[in-house]
Amino acid sequence: MAEFGGYEMPLWYSSAKNEHLSVLTGVGIFDTSHMAVVKVEGPQAHKLLQQCFSRDLERCIGGSRQPLVAGRCVYGVFLNEEGHVVDDTIVYQVGDNSYLCVVNAGMGGIVAGHLLKYAQGMDVTVTDLTDQVGKMDIQGPHSAKVLIKILKNPEGAFNTMPYFSFKGSFDAMPGPNGPILLENDLPILLSRTGYTGEFGFEIFSDPRHFVKVWEMILKAGEEYGILPCGLAARDSLRAGAVLPLSHQDIGHWPFIRNPWTFALPYGIDKTSFTKEFVGGAALLKYEDADYTLPFVGYDLRKVSISGKTEVMDYTQKTIGSVLTCVSDMGIGRMDGMIYSIASSDKPKGFVPQGLSCGFVKVHKPLMAGKVIELRDGRRAIKVNITSDIRPARTARVAIQKML
Amino acid sequence: MKELNELILPEDVRYTDEHEWARQEGDRVRVGITDYAQDQLGDIVYVELPEIGSTFNKGDEFGTVESVKTVSEIYMPVSGEVIAINEELTDHPEYVNTDPYSKGWMIDVKPSDIGEMDTLLDKNAYLKLLEG
Repeated sequence: MAEFGGYEMPLWYSSAKNEHLSVLTGVGIFDTSHMAVVKVEGPQAHKLLQQCFSRDLERCIGGSRQPLVAGRCVYGVFLNEEGHVVDDTIVYQVGDNSYLCVVNAGMGGIVAGHLLKYAQGMDVTVTDLTDQVGKMDIQGPHSAKVLIKILKNPEGAFNTMPYFSFKGSFDAMPGPNGPILLENDLPILLSRTGYTGEFGFEIFSDPRHFVKVWEMILKAGEEYGILPCGLAARDSLRAGAVLPLSHQDIGHWPFIRNPWTFALPYGIDKTSFTKEFVGGAALLKYEDADYTLPFVGYDLRKVSISGKTEVMDYTQKTIGSVLTCVSDMGIGRMDGMIYSIASSDKPKGFVPQGLSCGFVKVHKPLMAGKVIELRDGRRAIKVNITSDIRPARTARVAIQKML
Repeated sequence: MKELNELILPEDVRYTDEHEWARQEGDRVRVGITDYAQDQLGDIVYVELPEIGSTFNKGDEFGTVESVKTVSEIYMPVSGEVIAINEELTDHPEYVNTDPYSKGWMIDVKPSDIGEMDTLLDKNAYLKLLEG
C-alpha cells in the first residue's frame, strides 16, 4: 500500500508486472475513485472554462477542430497566471451549461477554489464532488468484451462511441446519449478514455454502488483473465504511453516545451493562441524554459528519483533532472527496434525483457535518438531521447474491432 | 502483501535489520533477501550483483534489486570476499520472489570474521523488528 494524494492505495494486487502485461494483452481494472470531480454549471460555465482551461472549447475536437459538445470530453490543464500547472484534467461536457472536470487525487478543492477565483461576478456554480463519485477504469483489448456482458443495452452503448466520448450519468440524470444502465439497472457514466494508452473505458458510478459494479466486472472478466491493477502498473503503463503524471512531469514550471502542448490552444501557425486564458500570456513570453522530453532505455534498469538524480550529455555535463523513470515490462529491443508484447509485427521468439522509460527535464533541446546518461549517485544508465515509447498501443482502436 | 504470520522465516539463517539473510554453509556464508523484503518490493525484474572476488565490509552495499517500481540496495551481512554469485538470477530474477531462501540466493561470501554472524538477528529478534 502507498499514500497517494491523501488516499491509501495498493501499489499492486498480485503482481505489478502481470498487471501491466494484462492491460497490454488482456484486460485489467483500476480503482481510480481517488480522482476528484469538479462540477461547473450555469449560464456562464462555458465562459469560465474558456477563461481557465487550456483547451479552446470552440476548437478542440478532432483534426478539424470542432467545438466541444455534450457527450464529448477533452484533456487539458488549468494554469496559474505564471503559466504553471495547477492540475491536469479531462473536461466532460454534460449538457449545454454543464461540465465535469475530472482532476487528480486531493485536487478537487484546489481546482474548485482556483475556478471560483475567476468566477467572481459570473453566473456559474462550481462544486467540488470529491469522494462523491466512484470511478474505475477498465483497460485493455478485452475491455469491451467484458462490458458487453454486463451492460443492459451494449449495442446502444457502443454504437458511435469514438475515443474521448462518453454516455450516461452516475446520478439520476440520463446524461448525454443516456442513460447507460448495467444489467441490474444501475446507472453509470461510460467514457471511452483511460490513462494507460490502451483501449478501454472509465466508469463513473454512485460510490454506494461502486463495490457492486467492481464485483460485476471482475466476475464478467474472469473468462478473459481480468486482473485488478494497482498504482505501480498504472504508473508504468502511462509512462510508456508518454502520458504525464501531474505534479511530477508537469507542475510548478511553465507548461511549454513538453510532449503535451497539444493541450494548448495554438492556432494553425503554432505561435499564438486562439483564445486568451489564464496563464496563456505568460507562456508566450518564456524564452529560457526547460525542455521536458521522453526517453527510453536499453534495458529495464532504472535510476531512482531523488535530489541527486542528474541528466548528463555526452560531454558529461549536467544538463537537467529526471522527472519519471519506470520499467515498461511489456516492451523490449530486438534488432535495433522496440517492440511491444502486443506488436503484430514483433519478430518470432520476441519476449519483452522490459525497458526503462520516463521523462527528463533538460536545459537545452535534444533531438529524438540522442543518447544521454541518467545518474542517481549509484548507477549511470544510457538512454535515448525519443518521440514515443511503447509501440502498438490500442487506445484509439475502434470498439467494433475489439468485440 | 503478506501478514506477518504468513512470512517464511527459516530458523537456519540469521537476519539483518536491512532485510538480508545469511546462512553459514561450511566455511562460506550464503546471502539473500528475506521473504518480507521480496514481498514488500513486489515483482523483482532485475538483480545487480558484484563481481566474484570483490571484497566488502559488513554493512556495505553490494548490489541492487530492482522491482517494476523501485531500485533497492542490498547490504553485506558480514565482511568478506564474494566467492560466488547466483548466475541463474540473470534469467530468473523472479526466483527471489518465489524462493527467497533457496533458488533466490544472491552471493556466497568467504567471511573475514565468521564471528560477525553472531552479531546478526535470529528469527525471533527479526520478527520483533518487523512487528515494530
